[in-house]
Order: sequence, then C-alpha cells, then structure tokens
Amino acid sequence: MANINEATIDSLVELSRIRCSPEERKRLTHDLQKILAYIDQLNELDTDGVEPCCHVLEGTTNVFRPDLVGKILSRKTFLDNSPQHTGGLVRVPTVIKT
Amino acid sequence: MMHQLSARALRDEVAAGRLSALEVADYFLKRIHALDGDVGAFLRVLDARVREKARAVDEKRQRGEPLGKLAGVPIALKDNIHVEGEISTCGSRFLTNYKAPFDATVTRLIEAEDGLIIGKTNQDEFAMGSSTENSALQKTFNPWNLKCSPGGSSGGSAAAVAARMCPLALGSDTGGSVRQPAAFCGVVGLKPTYGRVSRNGLVAYASSLDQIGPLATNTDDIGLLMDVIGRHCDKDSTSLRWDAESYALEGGIQGLKIGVPWLFLEQLAEEPKKHFMAALETLKSLGASILDVDLSILKYSLSTYYILATAEASTNLARFDGIRYGVRAPEAKTLEEVYELSKEQGFGAEVKRRILLGTFVLSSGYQDAYYKKAQKVRRLIIDGYKAAFAQCDLVATPVSPFAAFEMGVIKDPLQMYLEDIYTIGINLAGIPAVSVPAGFTTDKKPLGLQLMGPVKEDQRVLTAAYAFEQAAPFAREMPPLKEVK
Repeated sequence: MANINEATIDSLVELSRIRCSPEERKRLTHDLQKILAYIDQLNELDTDGVEPCCHVLEGTTNVFRPDLVGKILSRKTFLDNSPQHTGGLVRVPTVIKT
Repeated sequence: MMHQLSARALRDEVAAGRLSALEVADYFLKRIHALDGDVGAFLRVLDARVREKARAVDEKRQRGEPLGKLAGVPIALKDNIHVEGEISTCGSRFLTNYKAPFDATVTRLIEAEDGLIIGKTNQDEFAMGSSTENSALQKTFNPWNLKCSPGGSSGGSAAAVAARMCPLALGSDTGGSVRQPAAFCGVVGLKPTYGRVSRNGLVAYASSLDQIGPLATNTDDIGLLMDVIGRHCDKDSTSLRWDAESYALEGGIQGLKIGVPWLFLEQLAEEPKKHFMAALETLKSLGASILDVDLSILKYSLSTYYILATAEASTNLARFDGIRYGVRAPEAKTLEEVYELSKEQGFGAEVKRRILLGTFVLSSGYQDAYYKKAQKVRRLIIDGYKAAFAQCDLVATPVSPFAAFEMGVIKDPLQMYLEDIYTIGINLAGIPAVSVPAGFTTDKKPLGLQLMGPVKEDQRVLTAAYAFEQAAPFAREMPPLKEVK
C-alpha cells in the first residue's frame, strides 16, 4: 500500500509539469490518499499467473498502410492554432542559451 | 410538431418533399434558442453552417438526386468531436480557441448521408466526470428537473435530445459517459463494441476504453445512426474490420436468456430496485427468461478503471503543453513556465487530479503494484463476462445506482466515481451496452435499464432494447419544459 504525502505530490507535480498552489497540493494529497485507499481493494485478488490485458479485443494485430503522401494539413491551418508563431514557425521561449 | 417526430420520420418527410431540410433546421434552431437558456446543453449552435448545409440538401432533392439516410436530421455533437473549422473545446479552458483542423470520421459520415450538424454540446472537461459539472465553460441542467445534473460526461448531448432540441446526438463513453446521462435524461444511449465507431477526430481521454456512441429519443433512431457511423475507418488503428451488420431491430426477444448479477447488485436502493424488477418482468412477458449470473468480479471494476483510465489520460493529455495549440500562459518566460503555467491555468481540478493519479500509477516503483495489477484484473473482468455470456445471451443491470442528483451535492471525487459502478465494467471488457428509459422515481426523475451483450453483438443489445421500449414506452414521455411558440 502506497503512502501519498506532500512530498509525493511535489514529485508528481514536477513529473507532470503542472504548477499547483500549496492549497491545491494539500487538497490533492487528501484526494489521492482516499482514492488509493479504495483502489487497494485490488490486493484482495490473487492475480499470480494472470496475463495482463493490453488490448481488449483478441486477435487484434498491428495495422500497416502503404507509406504514401496523402492530404495533409496546410501550414496555415496548423499555425492558426498555435499560440505564437513567426515567419511560418511556432515560436517558443529560448531553449538553448548562447 | 417536428420535435415529436423520430429522426427516421423526419428524414422520410424531407425525402418525400413534405418538409424541406431548411424548415427542419430552422424549427430546431428556434427551439434551441428558446429553450437552451434554461438547459445549457449547447456550447455553440452552428446556425449559419447548419442552414447552409440544409439548403444544399434541399437543392440536391430539387435536382432529383437520392437523399442520404439522415437527410435533414439535426444532430448535435459533443464538443470533443471535430467539425472542420469549428471550435472544439472539450469543455476545457485550455482549448477555448482551438479550431478543429479536420472533420472527425463520424462528422464526415453523417454529412455524407445528408445529416445536419446543428451544434456542439457541453461536457465534463476532457470527458472526465459524471455530472457535466466539470465543464469549465458552463452549467448544463437536466430538462426533467432544472435543479439536477443531466449526468455526464456527455450531459449536453443527453439534455439536448431529452429537450427535443435535436432528435439525435453523439457523445463519447469511456466509463458510462453516454449511458448514465441518457438514463438521467430519459433518453436512449448506446456504447457500441470497442472499435465499432471510428475515433478519428475524437479528442482522446483513455484510448483503451473510449468509444463514440449515439443518443436518441428511441432505439430505432440509435440503429439509424449506427448504420451510418458504425463503419471501418483506416484512420483509427483500433477500428474493427467487421462488415457492417444490419440494424433491423424487430426480431424480438422470445427465448433469449437474460442474466442478472444479483450479488453485484446487492447494494441497490429500494426505489431503483423496484423499477429494475418491473423491467425484468417486462422482459419476461416478452418471452425472455431471467437467470442469476455471477459477476461479483465487477466490484473491482471501478478501481481497475481509475488506474488504467488515469494512466492513459496522463499520457494522452501530455500533448496539451501550450506550444502548438490551445492557450499559452501569457506571462510564461521560459519553456518550463510555458508548460507549467499553461497547464495550471488551462486545466480544471478534476483533470489535474486524474493526470497526477495517472502519473503516480505509472511512476517507477509503483507501476507493477498498480498499472500492471489493474491490467491483470481487467483480464479477470473480461473472463467474468465471458463466463456469464456462456450462460446467457444478454446481461441486465440498472444504469446507475440513483436517479439524477442535484447540482453541487456530490463534492467528494470518490463518491462521484462510484456513480459509474454499473457502467464502467462494460468499457473494460469492450462490450456493447445500451441504456433505455425504464421508469420514473416518485419525484419524476427518469431511471434507465442497461442491457449488455458480448463483443460484436450490438444488434442483439439494441433488438432487446427496442422490444422493451415497445412494451414499456417510458421514452415517449417528454420533460416539462416551456412551450415554444
């Protein structure tokens, strides 16, 4: 059984890159503790030797298609949705400092 | 009164030229603008677009060309389904400015059959919720009782159909998000077999569970829409390559064996239980036999779901980073701040909760104890259904333990999750299930009967719902809304 504390929440916040206020972290600690306590009921079940289910329908195989150029989005359509763009490119803050 | 007609009857009127598609569109637009101030089902009504499409259908008829299966029928789409050039918010602040760059496959199929997309409906943010209260954009109220929730997450689509603001709508169902709002609003809702309907153009929440499903005022109209959208699509790698089946639903249920998992239902409260028993009597009177089946494994379905769905959500929603689309926090100075502040400002509390839970169950040291364990229990749940369907043709349960609850009363997230206890196992097993109106509580709130069948047996499930509905026509009652002149 896992113990969720504020340090766990801090690490999850960092991993998922969502900023959360101290109040939110407190609330999330409480909620996740409660949800995980419920979820721990799964430990009542013996699952030794059970094959994990990765796809719900049996007999499903990977899907391939010929690598042909089809209809693609125009640059304008794509850029119209981007929050900031310049010169036909998506603009982001400086990543590599010189 | 066009809103009292079925989708199929409307289509026939349009095809015969007794009504024009534009008259139909204008009638329902007027109804939406008169009623939706009280209900709040629509986030956007596509007035100009739907009138233009309706004119095109009328011109097609005037040229003597044959009309499609949905000619002139207004259809609402949940706001996580794309219509090219229109906003798709998914009920999130993050996507308030997001214009869909392409049509979802379902949109294309509907319009190819001359159906009219009339608007985009409200939902819980990214389909995470059971009451539509998690929408960041507006509240939706239950047309049967405006103090109550319409259910969720496809609450807008269910409320729109219940209020007869359109005869058909699409929602998405990851753990009950079509069936539970259908039950709360007194309409019919189907979760088809996983892979039956293409998800190309549906914004992903939990990809191993998500399925688009129709809502309608009657079961026959569900079949009408499934006949159009239940097609293989090469843009969805989970789309099944089965031939389209018939959706003729008149076969009846004489001789069918219907299983009831009594042990799993032992917590059911008295009033919903009374209605459920009455529904079983109706099914018996139609020639079905009822037997007890063991699905006690389903008591683990909620836990399994909240591990797998949140794990998948945490990866699916990582794409909302404020770089390529959506809202970017204006004050962000560094790349990290773009991610962190955009997500902080763009996502609501439930979405953050699920992303964090999903990140936790996938994190190093916990993956085997949670994620892998849940994948194993999912296998046991699938096996449980298989064993049940070796004994019976269909399984029946209520849709939800309760009727619609008042807005704001369920504050604890876990209690809200428990709303889905009867619907969630179906998604884990990928099987089809329908919610069909099965009575009213003493304070006149609708209750739903859920019928589920084995994989691929969507038609069997609908045939039983259709037979039930003929014998117990609760779906014909309409909610007490003001008259539209």
